[in-house]
Amino acid sequence: MKYFNYIVLIFVCVLFSCRKDVNVKLPEYQVKLVVEGSIETGSPAVVLLSYSIPYFGEFDFTTPEKSFVKEAFVTVSDGVMVDTLKALDPSVGYIFIGSKINGVEGRMYTLKVKVNNEEVSVQSTILPKIALDSLYFKWEQDSLGFIWQHFKEPSGLGNNYRWFSKRLNTKYTDAFFAAPLFSVFDDKFVDGKNFDFSYDRGPQPNDVQKWRDDPNRSYYRVGDTVAVKFCHIGKAEYDFWYTYYQNKASNSNPFSAPTNIKSMFVNNEKVFGAFVAYSPYFDTIVIKPKP
Amino acid sequence: MLLVNFRGLYTFLLVFYLQFVNAQNFSISGSVYDASNGESLIGATVYLKEIRVGVATNQYGFFSLNAPKGKYTLVCQLTGYITYTQSIQLNSSQSLTIKIAFDEKQLEEVEVTTKALDENVKSSQMSSVNLDMVEIKKIPAFMGEVDILKTIQLLPGVKNAGDGNTGFYVRGGGPDQNLILLDEANVYNASHLMGFFSVFNGDAIKNVNLIKGGMPAQYGGRLSAVLDINMKEGNNQNFQVDGGIGIIASRLTIQGPIIKNKASFIVSARRTYVDILAKPWLDKSDFKGTSYYFYDFNAKFNYIFNEKNRLFFSTYHGKDIFDFTDGESDFRTRIPWGNTTASLRWNHIFNPKLFSNATAVFSNYNFNFEAFQDDFEFKIMSGIRDFNFKYDLNYFPNSRHNIKAGVNYIYHIFTPTNVSAKQGETTFDLGKVIRLYSHDAAIYISDDWDLTQNLKMNMGLRYGNFTQIGPFTRYKKDMFGNINDTVFYKANEKVVNYDGLEPRLALRYSINPRASIKASYTRNFQYIHLATISSLSLPTDVWMPCTEEIKPQIGNQYALGYFQNFGDNIFETSVEVYYKTMDNQIEYKEGAEPSANVYDNPDNAFTYGRGWAYGAEFFVKKSKGKFTGWIGYTLSWAWRQFKEINYGRDFLAKYDRRHDASLVLTYDMNKQWNFGAVWVYATGNRGTLPNGFFLYEGSLSHDYGLRNSYQFVPYHRMDLNATFTPNREKKLERRKQKLIEQYKLEGKDTTNIQVAKKWAKKFSNSFTLSVFNVYNRYNPYFIYFTREGDFLNGTLKVGAKQVSLFPILPSFTWNFKF
Repeated sequence: MKYFNYIVLIFVCVLFSCRKDVNVKLPEYQVKLVVEGSIETGSPAVVLLSYSIPYFGEFDFTTPEKSFVKEAFVTVSDGVMVDTLKALDPSVGYIFIGSKINGVEGRMYTLKVKVNNEEVSVQSTILPKIALDSLYFKWEQDSLGFIWQHFKEPSGLGNNYRWFSKRLNTKYTDAFFAAPLFSVFDDKFVDGKNFDFSYDRGPQPNDVQKWRDDPNRSYYRVGDTVAVKFCHIGKAEYDFWYTYYQNKASNSNPFSAPTNIKSMFVNNEKVFGAFVAYSPYFDTIVIKPKP
Repeated sequence: MLLVNFRGLYTFLLVFYLQFVNAQNFSISGSVYDASNGESLIGATVYLKEIRVGVATNQYGFFSLNAPKGKYTLVCQLTGYITYTQSIQLNSSQSLTIKIAFDEKQLEEVEVTTKALDENVKSSQMSSVNLDMVEIKKIPAFMGEVDILKTIQLLPGVKNAGDGNTGFYVRGGGPDQNLILLDEANVYNASHLMGFFSVFNGDAIKNVNLIKGGMPAQYGGRLSAVLDINMKEGNNQNFQVDGGIGIIASRLTIQGPIIKNKASFIVSARRTYVDILAKPWLDKSDFKGTSYYFYDFNAKFNYIFNEKNRLFFSTYHGKDIFDFTDGESDFRTRIPWGNTTASLRWNHIFNPKLFSNATAVFSNYNFNFEAFQDDFEFKIMSGIRDFNFKYDLNYFPNSRHNIKAGVNYIYHIFTPTNVSAKQGETTFDLGKVIRLYSHDAAIYISDDWDLTQNLKMNMGLRYGNFTQIGPFTRYKKDMFGNINDTVFYKANEKVVNYDGLEPRLALRYSINPRASIKASYTRNFQYIHLATISSLSLPTDVWMPCTEEIKPQIGNQYALGYFQNFGDNIFETSVEVYYKTMDNQIEYKEGAEPSANVYDNPDNAFTYGRGWAYGAEFFVKKSKGKFTGWIGYTLSWAWRQFKEINYGRDFLAKYDRRHDASLVLTYDMNKQWNFGAVWVYATGNRGTLPNGFFLYEGSLSHDYGLRNSYQFVPYHRMDLNATFTPNREKKLERRKQKLIEQYKLEGKDTTNIQVAKKWAKKFSNSFTLSVFNVYNRYNPYFIYFTREGDFLNGTLKVGAKQVSLFPILPSFTWNFKF
């Protein structure tokens, strides 16, 4: 469907259309608190807090740090203990990290965020770990290619997954596990099936621009050692990521419906985001030269 | 409210039963035809001058009226035709065949009909416009292609959604709420390539009638409007060929008698050739391998068995085909979509007072998408198929009543979006082809009744009954979206049933012969819905029946109007106000995908809401003289409210239009030259744009504003055209004179000089130059935002770009006829 829309668009634009810069007067914008929270087995919670920015508003793009939330009271509890998250750099804010609670499989966690005397909360559960069968590499060009995974999906509908990778070799060492576009899937089409799948390499969240500028951004290179993190996640968490990627993909393309992301803060116009409990399975592959 | 109307109807029925039992009248009935080609004429007025009793011919050109014994002058009139009069001595019931001649010398006013028609003031029908093709063909056309849908969008209360959008919107209703009938067959997608052209080939069309409100009971199944299009029957006197060559398409129509006065046919075809013309240019660009074309085919046959029986068969088939082949990546796609309709109709006249029509209709709309790469195959299909049977009776008990009654049954087969994929030998489990089946039945009765000299009433009642039947699998879900129950229905097993009564009432009160007030109330049920995924209307939109989840759309419309004609009916004017409610409207939920068929029902992807609209329409039309045309202006509001959209708040519909104005002018300077001009202005569409953005996983994402919270700039445009028709007679005469002179010089006999054969004498042609968007207005098609640089580096720059479809576009068409 998307193909069709794009093709028609191209066709129409080539034949007739004309483009011009315009000044758009957008309706008044309600700035939202953006919550990017996660916890995973064996690690403390990490929550990133920022404010959304109006498109053509007063915001000065040369000072991006002004969108960061500097002061916030952030807690994560497992029902017994409460962990108060601290800003990584109190002069900047934005990134808040826990210290007392590390994620445990099967537990439900409640995130509470209080900014400017307004408190919101959201819950997420670390589900049982689901393992991949094996990893292998397929060369697309001499030194470039994709990582494939062989997966036997467990029977029974209702499983959702998110996939990450991280290069561990010396030449390109990634700081974070990175997720590519549409790095989530559910078992609706593949329930109980044996199948292989692969993803592009995703951008590092601390330097997306570098990834964008890399002509081989989607590939892995021969010589890379790559860690794969394959996470079992819940339905609301999947919906959030899926609609997040839909939103990214549509990117104001008029032929697709404008997708508002399914925030885990339901029916709240002032707060947007998710708190995702990941249940990761890790595996590593060393990419060898093409035989 | 409903009960009162209902009871009222029976009281009225009883009253007129008593009335016509007492009547002692004879009837005059018959049909009205065009003398030159035998086409039956719709909406011609037939009246008896002495007692001022008259009727308009129905859709098949049939009329029936009653009068006491006596001597009368029967008059038959139709705009553009020479007035027909005949003396009648009425001693017994009579049957007539009236042939009226098209006024070829329309410009020399003396011989034209003594008086224009005043049907708009006299009839009980309000909110309706009847256009004939002669009128439509004079209006400037986009790329020279005469277009019915574009023309009706120039009328007040009818809107389009801008260049490049299919469908039209009537009084705040959606594009799926229009009943589009081509010779009584439903046309589900009336546009080619995103609305640039309609599927109706102007050469094959006889008449177009649009009803925006006060929908009579014989029409149903849609909330907003009826667009009733009749194809030509075919010249039953002479063979005739019409054609046209334009810059993007060519047309050819052939018609003629099979048996003179008894049977005739018409076939008409059209094909675009952008694919061929643009190919050399495209091949050099990045879009090599792209090709698009559409074609239309219309055919109709009719046979007159005798005065009482006539048979019609009409068919339409049209297709858009889009191809794309990328030689480098071995990616191929083919996207065909289109309609097919066929209808078989039998007119039978039981007696001068009772006319009947039986119709069997097949209608099909299909959208396919096929993509191939290496050994990977991907297919999407969706569509709707109808088998439709109708039986209508038209009874004229006396000159004060016109009773219509009928039944209608449709068997629908819906194919909501189905996806299949294959890689080599492996077929992916994307679900079986899911089809939804339903019975859609209706029964109606209506009476158009002259209560007094001044008061006329059209009352009707329609009852609809809709059943979704198996095979069907229902997946029930809990609040988390997990399936907690599955229900299987066997073939023909009832899944769900809906029904409803639809009262219709229209009143006309004549203040004087030139002015009247009209009021109407209609209640409509619609058992099918069109689900639109994108913010633009596309052929990918999916038709869905009512299911357990999707309730029937219910519409109520109240309209009030004042109608007045001036200057011997040369100027028609009207003012109408309306208020309309629409319940059980559907929209896709956020993030829903139409292909979610696996372990899911398509209707789980919808959210439900309601709509309401109100407005005022002003219309001035001049239909006679050298200058003709109209001015229309609409002030209107269209609202929607959905539980899951915009946090449940009221919002304006995409095609909400505060102001909408159009000016249409045609000037017949002389027999050789005529000119046309169109100017339109409309408040901008509403749309959803990103209002802001936010940082997530290190990159920026759009934060869309509330649905339809952005208003585009106004749409306005002017089109002009000029048509030159060379004077054939003069030319032939000149040539003849030249020959005579030459022969005389050569000393030859000049008595038997023939300059042209018979067909050449009949030959006529014309050249049309039209210019679309004369002052090159950049009307918005869509707006997209651009971002450069990186947010976290502090180098971000944002901008907005507007894409407009059509700059100034001149086009040239050559039309011919022989």
